Amino acid sequence: MKQIQGAFITGYVTISVKGSNPELFFQKCIHSGLTIWDVKKTADDTCTGNIKLKDIKVIRQIKRNSNYKITFVGKKGYPFTVKLFLRKKQLVVGLIMSILLIIFLSNIIWEVKITGVPKEIEEKISKQLESYGIHPGSWIITLESPNSIQQKLVKDVPELLWVGVHQKGTTFFLEGVEKIIVNKEEVKGPRNLVATKKGIIKTMYVSKGLPKVHVNDFVEPGDVLVSGIINESEETDEDEDSESGNKNLELVAAAGEITATTWYEVLVTIPLEASYEHLTGNQEKKHYIRIGSVRAPLWGFGEPDYKNIHSEVVERELNFFKWKLPVKIGETILSEKMYTKVERSREEAINTGIQQAKEDLKLELGQEARILSEKVLHDTIENGKVKLSLYISVEENISEEQPISKSLEK
Amino acid sequence: MKKWQQGIRPWLIKYLALPSDIILELPRITIIGQLHVYIENHQGLATFTDSELKLKTNKGFIQIFGSSFVLKMMLPEEILLEGIIKEVKFIPD
Repeated sequence: MKQIQGAFITGYVTISVKGSNPELFFQKCIHSGLTIWDVKKTADDTCTGNIKLKDIKVIRQIKRNSNYKITFVGKKGYPFTVKLFLRKKQLVVGLIMSILLIIFLSNIIWEVKITGVPKEIEEKISKQLESYGIHPGSWIITLESPNSIQQKLVKDVPELLWVGVHQKGTTFFLEGVEKIIVNKEEVKGPRNLVATKKGIIKTMYVSKGLPKVHVNDFVEPGDVLVSGIINESEETDEDEDSESGNKNLELVAAAGEITATTWYEVLVTIPLEASYEHLTGNQEKKHYIRIGSVRAPLWGFGEPDYKNIHSEVVERELNFFKWKLPVKIGETILSEKMYTKVERSREEAINTGIQQAKEDLKLELGQEARILSEKVLHDTIENGKVKLSLYISVEENISEEQPISKSLEK
Repeated sequence: MKKWQQGIRPWLIKYLALPSDIILELPRITIIGQLHVYIENHQGLATFTDSELKLKTNKGFIQIFGSSFVLKMMLPEEILLEGIIKEVKFIPD
């Protein structure tokens, strides 16, 4: 039966042979190597049988030399089904249209879901998203990546601490976390002000409490700067300390601002030679469509005549329901880049080193700190690098609140 | 020469156990119950009706009787017959 397997795919026809002894016609056919199956004798002078579609030509030749009458009774198989289907043009057009429609709809945002934030922020986010072009009904492929949307949103909506953007098929999920401005927990109740760093007191402004140090005093970390115990007598002894509650010490929350000159020793290394690359701002965009590994350019031909090129590829996928189509639309951004080499002399290197150290220190200490002076203690050149040891003096606030009960326990 | 060949053939079958249908060019008929008859090595179709199939062979004819016959497959030298089989007859020349 192997010979007739697969006949449905290649197609077969049923023929009816009319004449005297019609079975002899089939005999001739098989003699010339054809395969015939399901042969039936329907009447004395007619016989029906199935032959393969490709054998029809041979049948015609055999028929020419005989006086049998052949009629095609039926045709079955894949080629005929396809033909029948293709003949119905509206059906084919409809099918293609519906597939296109599904692809179209699968690549549209249907829903934007915002969770985790109160209503008014939700409103704000959706308004902001609208301005980015993210709303139900917009094309997914024209949108930016969720990552950059995330960054933009956090920047544009100040109430947001963090927002997670992810796309699941045709839905955009946004999970926001509201920024709750938590004031630094102030130590309530009686407290002292203590030093956090060693330094020399420069200015003192005490609004509440009893100052314990004077301007130009040297303090170590942990020293009490302003005491919250106002009527503390000098002769308070240790045995009386336990009965401090009875003695009715007057306790207040010390407040004030104490700035002191502090100093830092910083080590920096600056290379004498530095090279870096930067983009000149000239760029060209190329668009292409990718099917599997084959790329077909859509827009932007030819190579830009930049000397050095930094290229960036952004690809977007097309969806069909939940599946990703192997078709991708991509964009290549070719930017011109330049290499710059900087050579510094010893003095220049030292200067940049000082600048760098100052900036680093400022970042570390905050905005209120003021750098007073810097001094190069030591510099060496090693392996093309300048090693600097710097001494920087800074004016900054060194006070910190400390509750009194804790200090009493000590 | 031909006689000598014909003489050696039964000897080959007897002593070397070679299949007789190939050596003697005889039809091989396989019958499965009453349903199917599978004939190999025939020499052509002589008659085929709803109730009769006659095939030419090397030495005479094979005649099969029955009812509702359908030739399930026809290949050169092979035929598969389906139907209700009643009789298988050999008619020598």
